[in-house]
Amino acid sequence: MPTATINGKEVTVPRGTAIIRAAAMLGINVPHFCYHPALSAPANCRMCLVEVEKARKLEPACYLKVTDGMVVHTESEKVVAARQAVLEFILINHPVDCPICDQAGECKLQDYYMAYDAKPSRLTTGKVGKVKVYPIGPEVVYDGERCILCTRCVRFCDQITGTSELTVVDRGDRSEIRTFPGRELDNPYSMNVTDICPVGALTTRDFRFKCRVWLMTSTDSICTGCARGCSVHLDHYLGETQRYRPRFNPEVNEYWMCDEGRLSYKRLNANRSGALRVGERDDLSWPRAARMIAGALADAQLQPDQIAFVASADASTEALVAGHEYALNILRAGRFYWTGRADGEGDAFLRCADRNPNRAGLVHSFGEQILERGADRLLKDLKSGGIRALFMMSSALPFGREAVEELAAEARKLDIFILATSHAGSLSSAATVSLPVAKHSEQTGTWVNIDGVAQTVDAAYAPPGVAIADWDVYRRLAAGADAEWPLDSVDAIHARIFSDEAAE
Amino acid sequence: MLTDILLILLKIVAVVLLFAMPIGSLMTLLGDRKQSSMIQNRVGPNRARLSIIPGLGRLPLVGIPHFLADGLKMIFKEDAIPDGADRTWHNIVPAMALFPAIVMWAVIPFHDHYCTGEIVVQNYRDICVEGQTRNFFSIANLDAGLLYVFAISGVSVYGAAIAGWASNAKYSLIGGLRSSAQMISYEVSMALSVAGAILIYGTLNLNEMVVQQGHLIGGWLPMWGIVVQPLAFFIFLGAMMAETKRAPFDMPEGESEIVAGYFTEFSSMKFAVIQLSEYVATVFVGALIATIFLGGWQVPYLYGDGFHFGNTPTAALELPYWAVIALRIGAFSFKTIFILWLQFMLRWTLPRFRYDQVMNLGWKIFLPLSLANLVITAFVVAIL
Amino acid sequence: MAVTVTKIPRPDRSLWVQSYVPEVMRGLSITSKQFFKNLFTKKDVVTIQYPEVKRDYPERYRGLHRLMYRDDGQVRCVACMCCSTACPANCIHIEAAEHDDTSIEKYPAVFVIDELRCIVCGMCVEACPCDAIRMDSGIHTHPFYERDTAFFDKPALLELGGPSVAHQGGDMKGVQGHH
Ligand code: SF4
Ligand code: SF4
Ligand code: SF4
Ligand code: SF4
Ligand code: FES
Repeated sequence: MPTATINGKEVTVPRGTAIIRAAAMLGINVPHFCYHPALSAPANCRMCLVEVEKARKLEPACYLKVTDGMVVHTESEKVVAARQAVLEFILINHPVDCPICDQAGECKLQDYYMAYDAKPSRLTTGKVGKVKVYPIGPEVVYDGERCILCTRCVRFCDQITGTSELTVVDRGDRSEIRTFPGRELDNPYSMNVTDICPVGALTTRDFRFKCRVWLMTSTDSICTGCARGCSVHLDHYLGETQRYRPRFNPEVNEYWMCDEGRLSYKRLNANRSGALRVGERDDLSWPRAARMIAGALADAQLQPDQIAFVASADASTEALVAGHEYALNILRAGRFYWTGRADGEGDAFLRCADRNPNRAGLVHSFGEQILERGADRLLKDLKSGGIRALFMMSSALPFGREAVEELAAEARKLDIFILATSHAGSLSSAATVSLPVAKHSEQTGTWVNIDGVAQTVDAAYAPPGVAIADWDVYRRLAAGADAEWPLDSVDAIHARIFSDEAAE
Repeated sequence: MLTDILLILLKIVAVVLLFAMPIGSLMTLLGDRKQSSMIQNRVGPNRARLSIIPGLGRLPLVGIPHFLADGLKMIFKEDAIPDGADRTWHNIVPAMALFPAIVMWAVIPFHDHYCTGEIVVQNYRDICVEGQTRNFFSIANLDAGLLYVFAISGVSVYGAAIAGWASNAKYSLIGGLRSSAQMISYEVSMALSVAGAILIYGTLNLNEMVVQQGHLIGGWLPMWGIVVQPLAFFIFLGAMMAETKRAPFDMPEGESEIVAGYFTEFSSMKFAVIQLSEYVATVFVGALIATIFLGGWQVPYLYGDGFHFGNTPTAALELPYWAVIALRIGAFSFKTIFILWLQFMLRWTLPRFRYDQVMNLGWKIFLPLSLANLVITAFVVAIL
Repeated sequence: MAVTVTKIPRPDRSLWVQSYVPEVMRGLSITSKQFFKNLFTKKDVVTIQYPEVKRDYPERYRGLHRLMYRDDGQVRCVACMCCSTACPANCIHIEAAEHDDTSIEKYPAVFVIDELRCIVCGMCVEACPCDAIRMDSGIHTHPFYERDTAFFDKPALLELGGPSVAHQGGDMKGVQGHH
């Protein structure tokens, strides 16, 4: 374990640790472009040059390993001068079209320029023009002029996805990033290159020009695209999610996320329903509606066997626990089913075939057996009769359009069909009662991923209309039925969830 | 008897409608707006037009139509009475403010008594021989004229005080309190400052005072109040301005602190009437000061039959009686308007006092000074 | 924190000044001089009779906004949102879109300024890195009888605009063409 002194502070690190890592342990940030902790270090940008005593020249901090007794200075005069020089070199042909560039505001080049250089260009000759708006892949657009050739993107494709689509072509000031002939940057993780690109050279087609980064607020959240539940930064503006960016979480997704998940934020914005509807009336308050629902259920004089409760692998664990409590003790349902989105393609990296974010939570609350009673079974049982009342926790179904219509048609025949849903659709119009609920961007909730990692997220903004947190629905319904309700806060629910877990 | 009553009515109409009110509203509006604009290098109001009168077209008429426009506007404004206000008093109070301002005019002499016979000038006085004197030129020739003025101006404090109270608003109440305190304080030095003049003239009758001011000291210097009582003139002018609540004594309506003071809650014609009463009172100050200190209707060296230079029985320049009357009424009007002008001049020249300064000035400066003035005058009068 | 008291002595006034009347006279003499001067000659009157006489606005007067265009008549604005971010009144609404011409890349599909809400501070002009928005039209924002008419959209703003050939990021001599 070598010990080094960085800016006068001592640090002991495992053998083979680069100076930049050691400095980071001390809270010292060494400016860098090409270095990425998850990728190899080619040391090609020279931004991280630091002064190492007894070394003849400045050394790249991203590459040089700490040795015992090493004395490093990261902000000495020499270092700063070198940084300025590096920046000036990079900016020789850089277009500085920050007004157009989507990276502006989170651009490393901008930041370092403002921190170290901030001088007008000394260049009097013209700049070398390169390719603009080059479609390097179906989701990603490349801008040759802004590229600083750090090769992070190339290394990502080589080392993380192993697909090796990208390479550097041409030499000198003509160098650009390209795909190998006949190939496209089309792997299922391709959009990660836009995150690691330190400048605005790679941008996603989806987010291009949508929102300036400084306008958005970032909330730590998760992606609910599949059972992996990647940690993300949820960037939102004016009550709408604008994009997901992967958030470093060594237990789940490291630095990455898949393209499909990245685009799944769109579900948070599109076709949302914020209206509370009971029968024909959509002007009711929650307490009023809850009383009407309780009254209607009591009037219907149902036997437990006639009542079906459909849990959802999409809902938060809190909602599943509360829904279970409600179904057993207040609704007194006799039949339990579950729904969720249909399975998709999975792989060995991040993507899971299970496209539901909380199947683990579902099993935790309702038990393993429920998995045998899926949506197909529900449809079959509805058709064969016997069910008079149906309560669904979400409108997510593993069906195509036709089957959904079929289920909706069956559900219309029921005495009572209560649907807690965040989205409007044929199912919600078929429901007798449609209860608007929040999505994970709008409420506190816990999702348990395929490996059993539970992640609790907080609301980024307010839900639409009168929608409330999905677990809160059951508290309201219980209050409407004048029933005892032990789970009247997130904390109460958490106490139950986590004490159960501890007991297991 | 009937003719007497008719005569009095005629005089009232003449004084109030031809002199006090027109000058009060017109001159003061002009004075307030046009005069201030000129002092401040502006042009002042000049937008309202009388284009309904053929021939006037788009002439600005030095802004005079603005006062008609104001009246018209006031009439059509909503008369708002605040919640919880005393409606009865709130409605009566504008009249209470206007009443004393107008009634005070009763004793102002516009000219000496009319003489039906021959006029002989003796000792700087018109003596009416072979005829009667008729009081045509003041509404009432009261022997206690000055006391009457003080009595009525003492009543005028009610207008402001009750207006402030009846509005049921804090600003109004503060304004009302300020005005009553201020008016009562200044009444003292006001009365004491003219006491010297009363000593000299030996009368309270305003016409008699004016007659006496026709005297020429040393045969050339008119014995006007301002000549024999210069200190009293300044004190009286100051006290009277404080009485009328004009700047720099406009504490009761101090816009910067209490919106508009006691009449904050008055709108429409009620507001207009309160404003008018202030303006009429301002004109009255001019008339009263002219009467007591500037020789009233006297024109220097002009007596009943013409100009006399020195104490001579025959006129150096003979004039018909009507011409003398016209000159004298003209002189009186001129003096009144001059004092008015001076008041506005002061208003636009001096910054406002602080309230404690107002009280200091009244009680600690004006009062001792007027007392000293009275004592000295008394000595001098006794010695002479 | 210690409270310190500084005593400011009252100004020394001579009895002459303190007696007030002479000073009032002095003041009166100034105001009356002005009064008579303006009564007879109107010499010092500075009022401009507005609707009849109009004053020339200074060169840097901030009037209605306008959007500048490039040599080829395209809007200069690249929808960077710097102006709408800087705007303290939040009255600029921009929707960016991808331009067919890759050298332009980004342009404002929608650009609306609510002139009623605008406080005419000029921050937008200050913020614009592209000399795309200016307030030098010299046109006084006139009253609007309907709120919607106060929304100036891109065509309206361009109509007031003129060409600007300022280079982005300063004067770049001889920019080479693209591949
Ligand atoms: S990459 Fe950074 S420096 Fe370059 S144009 Fe974009 S924001 Fe500006
Ligand atoms: S595109 Fe971005 S990540 Fe790739 S080499 Fe260029 S600057 Fe680096
Ligand atoms: S002038 Fe100021 S308020 Fe008006 S649009 Fe520009 S930045 Fe906004
Ligand atoms: S700052 Fe200039 S370039 Fe940017 S959006 Fe506003 S007008 Fe357009
Ligand atoms: S970060 Fe070390 S050389 Fe690029």
